[in-house]
Amino acid sequence: MDAQSSFHFETLLIHGGLEPGPAGATTVPIVQSSSFAHATAEDLEDIFRGRKAGQIYTRLNNPTTDSLEKRLALLEGGVAAVATASGMAAISTAVLTILRSGDEILSSSSLFGGTYSLFHDTLANYGILSRFVDPTDLAAFRAAVSPATRLIFVETIGNPKMDVPDIAALAAIAREGGIPLMLDATVSTPYLARGRDLGADLVIHSTSKYINGTGSTIGGAIIDNGTFDWKSPLYPHFELYAKKYRQFAFTARLRKLMHKDLGACPAPMNSFLLTEGIETLALRMDRHCTNALALARFLQTHPKVAWVNYPGLEDSSFHDVATRQFGNRYGGLLTFGLYSQVEAFRLINALKLARNLANIGDAKTLVIHPASTICVDYPLEQRLLLGVSDELVRVSVGLEHEKDIIGDFSQALEAL
Amino acid sequence: MQLTVNGKPESIESKDSLNITALLEELKVKDALYVTVELNGEILERENFDNTTVKNGDSLEFLYFMGGGR
Repeated sequence: MDAQSSFHFETLLIHGGLEPGPAGATTVPIVQSSSFAHATAEDLEDIFRGRKAGQIYTRLNNPTTDSLEKRLALLEGGVAAVATASGMAAISTAVLTILRSGDEILSSSSLFGGTYSLFHDTLANYGILSRFVDPTDLAAFRAAVSPATRLIFVETIGNPKMDVPDIAALAAIAREGGIPLMLDATVSTPYLARGRDLGADLVIHSTSKYINGTGSTIGGAIIDNGTFDWKSPLYPHFELYAKKYRQFAFTARLRKLMHKDLGACPAPMNSFLLTEGIETLALRMDRHCTNALALARFLQTHPKVAWVNYPGLEDSSFHDVATRQFGNRYGGLLTFGLYSQVEAFRLINALKLARNLANIGDAKTLVIHPASTICVDYPLEQRLLLGVSDELVRVSVGLEHEKDIIGDFSQALEAL
Repeated sequence: MQLTVNGKPESIESKDSLNITALLEELKVKDALYVTVELNGEILERENFDNTTVKNGDSLEFLYFMGGGR
């Protein structure tokens, strides 16, 4: 792995963590076995005690999943990575590794609905409260750090609000408070920016999205950058792990407790599909970005469109920070507004190429009306906090020819 | 000097006093940069590897954080 760390990103996407397979296989073997036999009782004891490496049980580790984890850690520049059954499994497992009853999360108010539900409802039932603050208002964010804050959580590009916080500035607030910054980088991917370079201690991905890239697989990942000092007195439950595992303290605690206990492990087949999909991430993201910019520019000039929110547009209030943070690339996700929910529904129903479904990051162009679907359970006030108005349509711009994508939206808008 | 290393007896020849850093080299412990050392059941801080010596009869564990993309 150390020899590979000098490779460029595009090379690591293909070769990172890839060992020569049986019979010269060039893809990661799918090791579809629930558990792994060892020659002697002493061998298995040594593995359990941590004296030597070895596979035990696929809920804990698996050779196929290990390849995926190695590649993700290399791509993010982290010290370790853990693959999970889904993006929500990654967030749940990671936050529960850090937080105890009475602790607080200082969270971006611009969140994926599933994360909002976890923080606002589920964790509150266990005495873990969340404060939701606009991550682009740095003064408000800093002021919201309380003596109970033990985690700062932000998305690189808010989904579906499409706001772009200044991650380095938020990382500075986290450092001032001695609190780790956990970054959900699903929408930006490590190709647009590595969380480590922006100052994040922990990075989350729903690998179901751009990392898979084909809409075939559900998965998640937690990358530990090894940058947070877990010896801090704010985290007494990490004391032994920090002493024993140093820069691996977080991942060691996660693997020994929450990942083992919650059991949200990926199937080996899904880990294989993710290692296949990730190979083309850089090429795909470039096309997602150019197609999204082209569609955003088309929609912006269309008389039936009220507004367009895409950080790649020069008049976006997030253009400057996104340009700096993501190197002139702005991702494949955009939202736009019509003039009513009725018009939004009519548009979606008139689209012929774009699929109406609840996902992003597919090779295919996808649309959804978030207010009536993924955010339907929220009261109006909470929904507006997430940036989801009635007239909003979200588009995950795919890899088709840009003229076909624009043509589809053009004919659907004409039909309104 | 007789030591117990990871539960097994280990003889170190002609060394009266050896610090942990030297012992890791002597025993060719793999991934020495990442190893956690327990001496007689106590975790040793990495910064104390040079100033901690082992003596006859000591018991050591060389442990690793396993898995997770390493």
